[in-house]
Amino acid sequence: MATSGSVPITPVLKDELDIVIPTIRNLDFLEMWRPFFQPYHLIIVQDGDPTRTINVPEGFDYELYNRNDINRILGPKASCISFKDSACRCFGYMVSKKKYIYTIDDDCFVAKDPSGKDINALEQHIKNLLSPSTPFFFNTLYDPYREGADFVRGYPFSLREGAKTAVSHGLWLNIPDYDAPTQMVKPLERNTRYVDAVMTVPKGTLFPMCGMNLAFDRELIGPAMYFGLMGDGQPIGRYDDMWAGWCMKVICDHLSLGVKTGLPYIWHSKASNPFVNLKKEYNGIFWQEEIIPFFQAATLSKDHDTVQKCYIELAKQVKEKLGKIDGYFVKLADAMVTWIEAWDELNPSSASATTATTATNGPAKK
Amino acid sequence: MASIPSTPLLANELDIVIPTIRNLDFLEMWRPFFQPYHLIIVQDGDPTKTIKVPEGFDYELHNRNHVENLLGKRASCISFKDSACRCYGFLVSKKKYIYTIDDDCFVAKNPTGEDINALEQHIKNLLTPSTPHFFNTLYDPYRDGADFVRGYPFSLREGVPTAVSHGLWLNIPDYDAPTQLVKPHERNTRYVDAVMTVPKGTLFPMCGMNLAFDRELIGPAMYFGLMGHGQPIGRYDDMWAGWCVKVICDHLNLGVKTGLPYIWHSKASNPFVNLKKEYKGIFWQEDIIPFFQSVVLPKECTTVQKCYRALAEKVKEKLGLIDPYFTKLAEGMTTWIEAWDAHNPSSEAAGSLTNGMAKVNLGK
Repeated sequence: MATSGSVPITPVLKDELDIVIPTIRNLDFLEMWRPFFQPYHLIIVQDGDPTRTINVPEGFDYELYNRNDINRILGPKASCISFKDSACRCFGYMVSKKKYIYTIDDDCFVAKDPSGKDINALEQHIKNLLSPSTPFFFNTLYDPYREGADFVRGYPFSLREGAKTAVSHGLWLNIPDYDAPTQMVKPLERNTRYVDAVMTVPKGTLFPMCGMNLAFDRELIGPAMYFGLMGDGQPIGRYDDMWAGWCMKVICDHLSLGVKTGLPYIWHSKASNPFVNLKKEYNGIFWQEEIIPFFQAATLSKDHDTVQKCYIELAKQVKEKLGKIDGYFVKLADAMVTWIEAWDELNPSSASATTATTATNGPAKK
Repeated sequence: MASIPSTPLLANELDIVIPTIRNLDFLEMWRPFFQPYHLIIVQDGDPTKTIKVPEGFDYELHNRNHVENLLGKRASCISFKDSACRCYGFLVSKKKYIYTIDDDCFVAKNPTGEDINALEQHIKNLLTPSTPHFFNTLYDPYRDGADFVRGYPFSLREGVPTAVSHGLWLNIPDYDAPTQLVKPHERNTRYVDAVMTVPKGTLFPMCGMNLAFDRELIGPAMYFGLMGHGQPIGRYDDMWAGWCVKVICDHLNLGVKTGLPYIWHSKASNPFVNLKKEYKGIFWQEDIIPFFQSVVLPKECTTVQKCYRALAEKVKEKLGLIDPYFTKLAEGMTTWIEAWDAHNPSSEAAGSLTNGMAKVNLGK
């Protein structure tokens, strides 16, 4: 039994993965990512003023959607897609035809690992998604499928096959993803700690899912990745990815799918304005206190055996239980249903999302 | 504003418990870090053997004769010829905190080459809250340079008291026998710079090699079971304690941390010997885990001892069906609690603890 010492090569998956980027600014940041992103197809979701031209650096293969495209493609269902908020990115998930999605913000750059080497974030996400998760029992050496690691003594053998990984949640060096109060209290804090670990968020445990550096298996969990109603005309912002994360985790736990967090790191360069953030988050700070117990107690039944069925059921419970807090949640619940209807329309063969069918559909590529 | 608070030494509040059958030479390397503390050495195996303790350490040493002397017939709950006997040291300690370490564990170096003061990190872990109710993606939010991330509910940011700090190991990883047999060369070289809370409702394999805990918060649950001589199983002592501890911590809203600090684990135990010890456990584990995952403790169990007694009853009831060993083990658990309460009389309420027991000072 010799250890060969060879590191298995991670497949590029260039025809199986789309990179979804929401933007209102420009896409200059892509220059830095070129060595890693160029093989892939990009789906750019332009938020804000549709008359503005977004400049995409030469040499990238992409499709770009602005608000006019969203309205055209979804018709009345476009109401579920946020306007003037990066939550609009989930439109990109819906129109993608690929098995995997990687989404990244336009103020996220290539980070360096402690040895000074550029981090290929996408490659790490792919590794994370292609190896199982371990949601049922915590492994103290973290991801047992990583090189040089394994399950530790005391880890039940029947659980060592793991569960399929639906989501890979990456982290950020430099500007950490803090809420407005924390930003105000600690404006100088930077995340300089490189934690060399990937781990599974255990079953039954919620976490704050940040959309800045996130990958997922669209076939396994795509329909649950709705980023809610934020931005223009909405009473809340900066809870889009959080909302998606809580829905997603409840469904993953129910369907025995895994969620990983940890590596890879990207370099987050831009600190958003904490005063603006506080205005956006204000209602959320209070609502969160009810939302979390709601998700912690949410139950799904055996009949809910696809992501869509789970999601529709959750929407029902949101309306019923959270609707009492504020009319916003009634709107949100309706939008969740609209999202699923739109998803199924645009992804007709994925109605049973637990089977690995490839979606075929056809909004014209721009 | 950038000053790092210094970690209190807690020299009079923490005992270091070390099980051994060999010698304690390893203490030389730990001297800079351990010398301020009182050691409780639990000598396993042949009590006629003399264990040499390096000069300058303040210690008490207990061998099998002491165990039987002190506990009388309750000594039956303490394993013989197995490092599980270490929990006797937890029982006789009078301190608030325990750090336990194996005698083949040495000082590790962090990535900058600096010696790691494992005890200091454990103290930091125990003195700061845990966050079992919601996972923080930047790990321990109470560490320097970290905090709770966006989306973390504010009402949960006070955290809960930390009962256990579970450290890790560089070099020889804590693998079971099958894994050791399949991967004899694998070494843990990955330094993961994180401490995190094991979430509520999630079990984990608790390794006793590099472990600290708050004796007042969780001590009575730290029973390491019946292993070794005359027992059908070995190398499941710390695992057993860890599953009981976690269920009780979850019930009592206490936290368990894992991650830093690392020690350097130097000795790989013999995988063939290990397989013999673990053999039954490999199969039994498959029933034990679902048992712990589904056990519900009654609301009336408001102290660790009450929780533990309730757990012992359920072990007898449910696991006793698998093998009579579990009936013996359940009895061992009950005996342990009786022994604990007999020797720690004022600790019935896991919250306010004063302990007036005379310090037993043997072997100095």
